[in-house]
Amino acid sequence: MLNAPGKARMVTPQMAAFFALLFSYPLWSNSVGLYDYLGLEIAIFILYALGFNLLLGYAGLPSFGHGAFLGIGAYAYGLSQIHIAQSLPLGLLAAVIASAAAGGFVALFLAHRRGIYFALLTIAFGQVFWFTAMKWHSVTGGEDGLLNVLRPRTALMSLDLSSNVTLYYLVAAIVAVSTLLLWRFVHSPFGAAIQAVRMNETRARFVGYRVWFLKWCVFTLSAAIAGFAGGLFCLTQESAYPDVMSLHASGLVVMMTLIGGGFVSFWGPVVGVIVYFLARDLLGAHTDAWLLWYGLLFMGVMLFEPEGIAGAWGRLVRHFSSGAPTAAETHREPAA
Amino acid sequence: MDFLLPHILNGLALGLLFALIALGFTLIVGVMEVINLAHGSLFAFGAYVAMVIIAEGHGEGISALSWYYELPLWTRYLSALVIAPIVVALLGFGLEFCLRRTYGKKKEYGLLLTFGAALVIEESIRLVWGSAEQTLTVPSAISGAFIAGDMIYSIYRIYAALFAAAAIGLVWLFLEKTPYGAMVKAGAHDGEMVRALGINLSRLQLLIFGLGSALAALAGIILTPIWGLRPHVGVDVVIPAFLIVVLGGIGSFWGAVIGGLLVGMTVAMTGAFASDWSIMSMYLLLIVVLTLRARGLFGKKTALES
Repeated sequence: MLNAPGKARMVTPQMAAFFALLFSYPLWSNSVGLYDYLGLEIAIFILYALGFNLLLGYAGLPSFGHGAFLGIGAYAYGLSQIHIAQSLPLGLLAAVIASAAAGGFVALFLAHRRGIYFALLTIAFGQVFWFTAMKWHSVTGGEDGLLNVLRPRTALMSLDLSSNVTLYYLVAAIVAVSTLLLWRFVHSPFGAAIQAVRMNETRARFVGYRVWFLKWCVFTLSAAIAGFAGGLFCLTQESAYPDVMSLHASGLVVMMTLIGGGFVSFWGPVVGVIVYFLARDLLGAHTDAWLLWYGLLFMGVMLFEPEGIAGAWGRLVRHFSSGAPTAAETHREPAA
Repeated sequence: MDFLLPHILNGLALGLLFALIALGFTLIVGVMEVINLAHGSLFAFGAYVAMVIIAEGHGEGISALSWYYELPLWTRYLSALVIAPIVVALLGFGLEFCLRRTYGKKKEYGLLLTFGAALVIEESIRLVWGSAEQTLTVPSAISGAFIAGDMIYSIYRIYAALFAAAAIGLVWLFLEKTPYGAMVKAGAHDGEMVRALGINLSRLQLLIFGLGSALAALAGIILTPIWGLRPHVGVDVVIPAFLIVVLGGIGSFWGAVIGGLLVGMTVAMTGAFASDWSIMSMYLLLIVVLTLRARGLFGKKTALES
């Protein structure tokens, strides 16, 4: 599962397919009835979910309060634009620093926890941040949030970011670079150590890993990535609001990641995010109750295919290519 | 001290209500080690079903039932108190049936499945009854207010607190004084041994899940006249329930009750001095308690930690 260390190729078919989709989206989106802005949302949430899956899929730590870090990143971006200067690098830096600081602080309370105690504490911290965002009117703007966080007029190389297509290519490039870095990260020895913690924490400790420190690091990193995505989100939306920090929103990213198959594949979250947003737009156009169907889909996945779409796909591929096991298959371990 | 007394009483009453919310949750987590995140949605669903049964301003259109709408309000209220929990218990049976596939797997699967179920139930409620705020009408005997000293007391709040205390007492009697209670506690302690003694553990788990769901519905009927009835009231309920149970210690009956009282007291006290932050105080309470005592106040080691 989740590819063994040292065997990683720099480019896999899945990665090529993902990059092809990512960078060609504005070329075909309008002709199939989608729109540029949707691509921005999807790309940003892919980054968010990939970072989240470091925690859920790789470290086996279910966080139900991750929206808080997305929100903190968005607020940090917005506040820096309003109060300091309109600058893209400054905003994104503020987003990453603020969310990493918040994540690092929260992780102090969480890194020695497992199972449901971990889950509940992430909910509790998530709610604390959410309430703070809602009630601290003078800074966060309360329930309305920060409005009119205008996109910086000339960012890098004097791009005109008011155009959604231009902004899309910038965001896509950022997401692509981040994805490559994450791919390298999970295939590094550090990534392998984190997976060892998920599989057997006691054994990992006996082998000599500092489990607490590993869990602290992965939580903080995951929070920082969520904050980075939050900064991009605020850049795109031109606003930051507390909704994304609610338990409901934090739960949705868990569902996206699992429906896609975050337990078994690096690319699971990507699939899950695409399914979610397409369901929202395509089902949502026909029925107000589209979340009902999405919830049923999630229940179905949990009951019959806990490895998600990626798991089902992998089984299909193995079924048709029976015979010589692939490199990925040899290193496959039982589902966690 | 005098000015604190009403806040203490208020906190006590609120605490009993919080304990009532946590009652069904603690039963299910204690016996089955399943975190039932659909608890809040079952609470909301119970209240909506009760609203239909009470039928004040709803559903008078069905002429075949016109004799029923003629009945006095308190008769309809009492029948709602009985029928709505039974309806929700049936839904709970269905949910437990789904959950069976997750037994023996990682404990997170049960939590995730019930999380999905919560979303499905909430959206179904929205589909049937709409998103608008609804009201649950209660008989005039338990509504209104009276004045004692220079304070105004709501009769309904006193009724609700007494009801919660009675429900807590009844569940305690069930667990301590009936053979079923003994089986439940034994099942929580060592399921395999219980099965070896010839007790049908699957049926026991089904019943417990149904009972926990019925208690959620009962809490919904009692609490929504105070807190209001909206489809997403479930989230406002399940998180405090989860929090109270972990605060008190998973698997500890009195832990849940004391946890509920503690949360009620904290929320009421914060509410008295900084009302904007009253809900947040309980999360801070949880973080403090769990930092000092890793398994809550009266918690024991369970499979849920791995």
